[in-house]
Amino acid sequence: MDDDYYSIDAILAENQKIQCTFKVDIPDMGHLDGGKDRDIKKNSKIQLPLWIAYILIYSDFADFTIPTPFNARVRNALNAEAKSVRLSGLVGAGGLWPRRLDDAPAKEMSDILTKTFRSRLVEVIDQAQHFAALGPSGGGGQSGDMALTFREGLDGTERELFSLAQDSAKKTKQWYESTERGRR
Amino acid sequence: MALPVALRDTVSPPELELIASEQLIEIVPLIAMERTAFISGAYGPLRPPAKSKVPIWMAMNLKLKRKCHIVAPEWLNVEFLQERLTQETTRTEFSQLPFRFSEIAKLLLDIASDDIQNPDKIRYLLKDIREARQAKSRDGLQKIDHSELSLPNLCSMEINEIRPFFVKAMGVLTHLTRESTADNAARFENF
Repeated sequence: MDDDYYSIDAILAENQKIQCTFKVDIPDMGHLDGGKDRDIKKNSKIQLPLWIAYILIYSDFADFTIPTPFNARVRNALNAEAKSVRLSGLVGAGGLWPRRLDDAPAKEMSDILTKTFRSRLVEVIDQAQHFAALGPSGGGGQSGDMALTFREGLDGTERELFSLAQDSAKKTKQWYESTERGRR
Repeated sequence: MALPVALRDTVSPPELELIASEQLIEIVPLIAMERTAFISGAYGPLRPPAKSKVPIWMAMNLKLKRKCHIVAPEWLNVEFLQERLTQETTRTEFSQLPFRFSEIAKLLLDIASDDIQNPDKIRYLLKDIREARQAKSRDGLQKIDHSELSLPNLCSMEINEIRPFFVKAMGVLTHLTRESTADNAARFENF
């Protein structure tokens, strides 16, 4: 995104931890794992934030395990029906669609994520516009359990999209209903 | 960075209305006025009962003071809009309408509805057209991908309404889509 530099979300996303397996011994860096040992041993598994993991992986010091939100079970569920998976439970409500997938078994992951995102997007926008039309007092109640469950399962990025769509629909609606008569 | 999020990446509907107000429209003046210079240009002279072309903002102003009648543009009548509505509901692509039709129609119906024939019918038609077109842009959303989206004949107000989340959604898709190996190599060099 253009505003990545200022984006708190991008910074937070970089802070998410992934599990790395070291391929070599690294002396004097044991504090990365909470500081029990002095050195990092070969084949030890350590949770590292993404921003440091990049460099380690690119420099071939470590390998990473695919994090839970992308394991086989979840992938199959996404393939079956993307709309029924509660992403927020998987990545945490503050979590986000992973921003960078330069490396890794990226092709397959990227395909699945793109497909998932696209099929959920329409539902997100539909609901956002529905809520914008209801106005401040409406909402809740009669909208149905399916919709509610889906809304609770939105992840961070989808929430942003939801509020963007809701705001713009609301503003347009306000404008259509406003009148100039008597203002001048 | 000081602007609220909503204003950072799009303009607001009232701003679009302001832009549309610069377009010219025909009026039948009820007062006489010499040719007068305004910041946006010189308009006039007004000599009743001869028709004259002035910007919409000026026409609205005169109308509110009961100093002119407005001649509705040729697309703002029941037959034309009815035909467009039929096109809209029977074909898959957007029908051709003036780029800023919703702004202008709203202004005219709001302020000068007594100069337009059958304003209520026109309001209903415009609402139907708007809803039909919204359904189509929703279909467009399903086809969205990271690099381009083509929705010909979309009008300014509609573009404005969908811009914030279309831009964001395409941004996310760009991140999700795998970059070519060349890009990866370049990034690797930067480390």
